[in-house]
Amino acid sequence: MPDTTTGVVVIGGGSTGAGVLRDLSMRGIDAVLVEKGDLASGTTGRSHGLLHSGGRYCVNDLAAAIECVEEGRILRRIARTTIEDTGGYFVSVSEEDEAWVPRFVEGCGKAGISCERISVEEARRREPALSKQVRTVFWIPEDGHLDPFYLVMGNVESARRRGAQVRTYTEVTGFNRDGNRVTGVLTRDTMTGEETTIGCKAVINATGAWAGFVAKLLDVEVKVVPVKGVMVVLSHRVAHATINRCHKPGDGDIIVPALSVAILGTTAVRVPHPEVLPIEWEEVRHMIEEGSLMADGVSTARAMRAYAGVRPLYDLGAEAEGREMSRNFAVIDHEQRDGIAGFASIVGGKVTTYRLMAERVTDLVARRLGVTMPCATAGVPLNDRDDELDQLRHRPAQVGVPKPHGDELALQPLVCECELVRPQDVAPWFEDPAVRTLEDIRRRTRTGMGPCQAAVCSYRLAGRLVTDRHQDGPAATRAMADLLETRWRGVRHVFWGSQLRQAQVTAGLHLELFNLDRQLMLEKSTAPAGHFPPPQGEGQGGGVETAEVASQR
Amino acid sequence: MKADIAVVGSGLAALVATRTLQQAGRNPVLIWPGLSSLYFTYATVDVLGYSDLTATQPVEQPEAGVAQLIADHPDHPYAVAGLDALRSGTTLLIEWLRAAGFSWQGSLAHNLLLPTAIGTPKPSCLVPDSMAPGDLRRDEPIVFCGFHGYEDFVPELAASNLSRSWGRGEGSVRAIRVSLPGFDASRLFTSIDLARSFEDKAFRQEVASRIRREISVDGHRLGVPAVLGLTHDSDIHSSFATQVGHPVFEIPTLPPSVLGLRLFDRLRKHIQESGVEMIWAAPAHEAEVSDGRCRRIFLKSAGREQPIDARAYVLALEDTVDGALRAGVHTVVDPFFHQSLAHHAVPTERTDESLFKPQPFASIGYPVTDRLQPSDDAGRPLAGNVFVAGGAIAGYDPVGTKSRGGLAIATGYRAAKEAMAA
Repeated sequence: MPDTTTGVVVIGGGSTGAGVLRDLSMRGIDAVLVEKGDLASGTTGRSHGLLHSGGRYCVNDLAAAIECVEEGRILRRIARTTIEDTGGYFVSVSEEDEAWVPRFVEGCGKAGISCERISVEEARRREPALSKQVRTVFWIPEDGHLDPFYLVMGNVESARRRGAQVRTYTEVTGFNRDGNRVTGVLTRDTMTGEETTIGCKAVINATGAWAGFVAKLLDVEVKVVPVKGVMVVLSHRVAHATINRCHKPGDGDIIVPALSVAILGTTAVRVPHPEVLPIEWEEVRHMIEEGSLMADGVSTARAMRAYAGVRPLYDLGAEAEGREMSRNFAVIDHEQRDGIAGFASIVGGKVTTYRLMAERVTDLVARRLGVTMPCATAGVPLNDRDDELDQLRHRPAQVGVPKPHGDELALQPLVCECELVRPQDVAPWFEDPAVRTLEDIRRRTRTGMGPCQAAVCSYRLAGRLVTDRHQDGPAATRAMADLLETRWRGVRHVFWGSQLRQAQVTAGLHLELFNLDRQLMLEKSTAPAGHFPPPQGEGQGGGVETAEVASQR
Repeated sequence: MKADIAVVGSGLAALVATRTLQQAGRNPVLIWPGLSSLYFTYATVDVLGYSDLTATQPVEQPEAGVAQLIADHPDHPYAVAGLDALRSGTTLLIEWLRAAGFSWQGSLAHNLLLPTAIGTPKPSCLVPDSMAPGDLRRDEPIVFCGFHGYEDFVPELAASNLSRSWGRGEGSVRAIRVSLPGFDASRLFTSIDLARSFEDKAFRQEVASRIRREISVDGHRLGVPAVLGLTHDSDIHSSFATQVGHPVFEIPTLPPSVLGLRLFDRLRKHIQESGVEMIWAAPAHEAEVSDGRCRRIFLKSAGREQPIDARAYVLALEDTVDGALRAGVHTVVDPFFHQSLAHHAVPTERTDESLFKPQPFASIGYPVTDRLQPSDDAGRPLAGNVFVAGGAIAGYDPVGTKSRGGLAIATGYRAAKEAMAA
């Protein structure tokens, strides 16, 4: 007997899974999303955040480019608060690049991408950061920055309000079957070890680079090629708009200004496993060198951290490798292909097209379940209530940035000064059972993502674990240390210049003033390292409660 | 400009070196590169808190601990500076603190054990009177008091941790919060704002009465965030404790650290008022060396480079914080002699995988002679009249052993003495 039953179990808490959950809930289908880590902790949260106009794919991968054009326009309607509408430049910096220009223009034409050639002088007037090497410049108004965290949270909260449930840190360990039909999933809480069975009519495998591992539990094959990409974060935006190199897509040819930082991306290296993502110095160096070709200030800006993500490229059996492979996606109907009813996989794709991917796989599963209601996700904004996650666009105004004259100098309190995160931005998440580590708070609020890399705010968050989440001191202190350690892992790769000063301040504060190293030696927390349990007396998820939480925000 | 002895730096090592020179009747110039980050994290003078990096048992007798450390590690900066420098420098500092109007306590004979803002006991040697009642060698129960809307000190966190490592039975550690008159939790305020308000007598009285209502039993002591006045700490602290009716102790908070501000601002002002010339916010660099002696260094001041010609120089810079060292992508160089002090094929070599372990970068610095002169690889002084104190000495890493203050005192004192003899 299952412990609980639902209509559809969605496996994977990235943008695709979150999009599927929302799509199901809007069609009135009961659904539970299970994710073995946190929401947006895999590929989605480790993307470079470029909202693709399609320009990057318009020569080599026209189908993907056309999808980007359409989906980008839809996202501007339904997820406007997760997008910074910066526009973007495509620039050539060498003779070799120039050869790409006519193909690029032709590709933009075929894909329907708005593209305007502007003179180098005009471009530099608009964007003084453009480097001296820049020869040809195109203005692509539909490139931008898409915040992957807010996008996932926005989809999930929208689904939760419609009754969908979310279980984070919940790994699928097996399936229940009735003959050829999947009737449920077996799950294990990765932190407590608790095992649960969820009965269902269908399962959607939206685990991206991990899709093969999930499919293998049913003895079917899904070939996904994990391709690593390394990104470098600079401590300020560097440029007003996104900058792409106008050439055959390669390494280090994207600069994305993202909120308070800029992200340089990326590399493409096939890896043996989606969780084996070493950051090599050569990659970091290359990112900065290549970025400097396009924009001044990249090499002199303070590099703040480096991180690596993994693309889930779907192996269509072609000879192509890495970037040569299509960024297109595929819905796999395992009933048709493998004779397993009630199981579908959605693979490939990218964050920009997550909604379309969700729509296609949900169409299939809804049809099988006899649900005729069509997809409505393209027409209804994520923030279909007034209280939606609206921080991205409006936070600086809400915080009350001081004006030179007038009476608005009274600032609101801040939990994180670097990213302007207020107490009311973090407070509701301490009550969310899906939040189990301080990294989860970071993903939902950007707390700790700025130049000090959580040196200051980690203490305030630890305090809230005690006061708001009723954790004991050792567990809260361990969580604070873990947040600092995960930040440190990224900081180490770009450790030069003023980074050393920051590290000395962080060490002076935590190791000397707080004596945190001895605290960690003295007290082995009773909880497993890295997490705190959900609030007492609450299950995971629950649309109604969450809606109330959201309305306080 | 011409000078007798130029001291470069903004931390405790620079201040101790300057005071040493002044007390010896010399005429030092203090070149202060700018607001030091130490302002944000300094609170006490720690001489030796733990005998090594893995010890969890605090050192009880810091002087004996340093003597043992010198015997075990003859290359340690403490060993180069010498135990006598620590003793004499500490005496000098204690006298100076008194002369500058501070009320501090402690000696090299014993460490105090004070709770931090996360409630962990921490050994410290010299501490302000306003922190001393927190000493965990005493037995009175502790009440941590926080303020509504102030998240830089969380009494519940401190109480929960301390009750495990120290608790003297049921109810011996607890947490309370009071609201502060005029401080609305919906407005931003920092420890500096609070410290300013605590200088107001009526404000203190009102806060004290709110706290009294929360502590009904006698015999407790009260731990509060270190915000009891920006400058006149001891007066405010003692009058507040009287008003509260319990012993009160301050606990250093998140930056800005009021304790650090009080210490450095007043020592700096005091030494200026007692006649030492100070050049403010002028990073120094470029040592001009001839015939084995440094003839001048240059200051970056508004629009031009200003040379300083001194008979001797004390470079008392705290690591990278004060700009003592410049870390390029691969090579760390010093700004005076352009020595390559460390080379790393990849930047990750500079750090440990864990933030909570000793960091290789922290030990980067000048190799020094037994007189604290910066030296080349062969051990020859780069200039006979230049001496190094503080974090820019190779192998100087006070973090794990909690020895920042003592190392600054010992090396600052010794470097000053050597500079006088040069």
